[in-house]
Amino acid sequence: MTPWIDVICILAVFLSLTLLATHRIVGMIKIFAVQSFFLGLVPLFLHGGIIAGRDLAVSLVTMVLKAGLVPAVLFWELRHISMRSEVRPILGLGASILCGAVLIAVAFWISLAMKLPGKLESSLVLPCSLATILLGFMTMVTRTRAVTQVLGYMVIENGIFLFALSLFDTMPVPIEMGILLDIFVAVFVMAIVLNHINEEFERTRSTGRRPRWGES
Amino acid sequence: MTLILLIAVPLIAALIVLLPAKNIFRVRLLCAVSLFHASVVASFWWRRPGPELQGYFVLDPLGLLLLSILDLLFLATSFFMIGYFEREHRNNRTFTACILCLLSMTTMVSVSYHLGLMWVAIETTTLFSAPLISFHRNWKSLEATWKYLLVCSVGIALALMGTFFLAIAAHETRTLLLPAILNNAPLLSTSWLKLSVIFLFVGYGCKMGLAPMHSWKPEAYGQATGMVSVLMAGGLTQCSFLALMRVSQICHKTGLGDFYGSILIVAGVLSLVVPAVFLLDEKSLKRSFAFSSVEHVGLLVLGLGMGGVGVFGALFHMINNALAKVVMFLTAGSLAQKYGSSRAPEVRGVIHLYPVTGVFLLVALLAGTGMFPFATFHSELLIINASVISEHYVLAGIIIVCLAVIFMGISRLVLDLVYGKPVEPAPAPRENLFMNITIAAAAALLVGLGLWMPAPLSGLLHEAAALIGA
Repeated sequence: MTPWIDVICILAVFLSLTLLATHRIVGMIKIFAVQSFFLGLVPLFLHGGIIAGRDLAVSLVTMVLKAGLVPAVLFWELRHISMRSEVRPILGLGASILCGAVLIAVAFWISLAMKLPGKLESSLVLPCSLATILLGFMTMVTRTRAVTQVLGYMVIENGIFLFALSLFDTMPVPIEMGILLDIFVAVFVMAIVLNHINEEFERTRSTGRRPRWGES
Repeated sequence: MTLILLIAVPLIAALIVLLPAKNIFRVRLLCAVSLFHASVVASFWWRRPGPELQGYFVLDPLGLLLLSILDLLFLATSFFMIGYFEREHRNNRTFTACILCLLSMTTMVSVSYHLGLMWVAIETTTLFSAPLISFHRNWKSLEATWKYLLVCSVGIALALMGTFFLAIAAHETRTLLLPAILNNAPLLSTSWLKLSVIFLFVGYGCKMGLAPMHSWKPEAYGQATGMVSVLMAGGLTQCSFLALMRVSQICHKTGLGDFYGSILIVAGVLSLVVPAVFLLDEKSLKRSFAFSSVEHVGLLVLGLGMGGVGVFGALFHMINNALAKVVMFLTAGSLAQKYGSSRAPEVRGVIHLYPVTGVFLLVALLAGTGMFPFATFHSELLIINASVISEHYVLAGIIIVCLAVIFMGISRLVLDLVYGKPVEPAPAPRENLFMNITIAAAAALLVGLGLWMPAPLSGLLHEAAALIGA
């Protein structure tokens, strides 16, 4: 089943790069959902095609939380704020893709030096998870909108999740679930804070007393 | 089942406060839960509970120390809240629910012996503390909440990565239970362990607010109410410090003590230099206390990094730091409620209008900057002593200079606030008994510990230091 994991690893990196090069926030959320869906499939291919109850449980929870509920929360958030696209990204489309490609090369280069003591299902897991994490960071720092920063954070989490799958047997299921739930709650809390920021923005826009962001 | 009960009771209480009720009922319930929690933890000083949930929950001396500190903080804040919510009429449903959840999750951090579980609990504390910062829900507090959430979430994500690296290093043991890792320390892969240590340090250091990952701290503490700042500066930062101490336990067993120690010392020195620079020109009391918190966490990691008597000093400083934060932030909170600000131009001549709060401000200055007879003086001296014993003479010099500059920076502001020309017209609210008693009790305890250390406490600190190999 290794080829399937290889395919998913490459898809994860490809989708992170696509997300980095996308300007429309709706598109970015959809790309994130697709990436999470594919990552949710990984546990099913881990043990040579034999699907245990534990594999199925982690797979299902990942898909429901990351590919279903998190995008739903972000879409809900988007409906409340009158903004659909990243207006002023710090880097343009071409520069983003170029930097992303460099980061992927760096991730593969770093992973060459990292010798895993155990056996991995796929040799692509480590470089691809590192690349996804780096691309997530890149998305976070080059975007100015709060929603896109949340998406960058979620891509980092997806990269860590891909890496964690290689250690599937070390973490007990309740703790895996705890980690997934924490990440979902993090997005939920971020969405609520964003909503409050938006309400405050709308309120102060009418009175014109809003201090500039970053002004203390 | 005692430890599980300690985690579950605040969670159940959090569900109860979500029901429609008066503000004061919720605060009283929080007081009752804090008292119950504290009395159960006090009983642990005589008889410690055994491992629970197949060894996932264990209360060792380090955990008991943190748990006792947390109880002091939650008791202090809940009593302070009685006075605070007599004047504050904003609905406190989410506020008290989040504080109760924080009590539950910080308890879980103290007792968890699985590093994955510890990560889950620490991340949850971040999520429950975020809504507390934006209690007043104005533009600045929302901005501070956003920064805190984003910086700490990314930091904690790095700590998760570090936890996974540790799992790779411990692939022979196939578990992240602390006793299993410590017992099989020679089997750990050194290169992966080093990588894991770096990631765990950066991740938990971010949550602790060590320089240069401290950017969220002045914003968050500057905007949060005093009570929330107390819980964050005295409780949550020390929960992350417990995680760093667990890493220290592993490094000590695997011969990586020096490697980890040097990282801690560098971060500790940076955390002393940064506040020394920024405090010289700070106008806001809460923000300057936030920088003081960066200094104190810096001292904690310095003590841990130097080993020997430094570890004992750091453990003692955990208690003193918490009590000093109670005095500092509750006084700042009380001041902010009276004046609607804690900045120098708007607040001046406090001693003329509010003599008690003025005196508390001076006490907060002395306690926070480590003056005799406050116990912070002793623990800071122990840490400086450790650097001299380990022949880090330059380091001892840097610590002393930084502490002196920080003292000058904070005293300049506080003396201006206390003795400056009073602002007119006089603000309305009067002194509140509950608020003043809480601050006075914490200050008295800090002086008491400075003059005399009880034998059980000394025994616990020695026992805890021995776990880290001091």
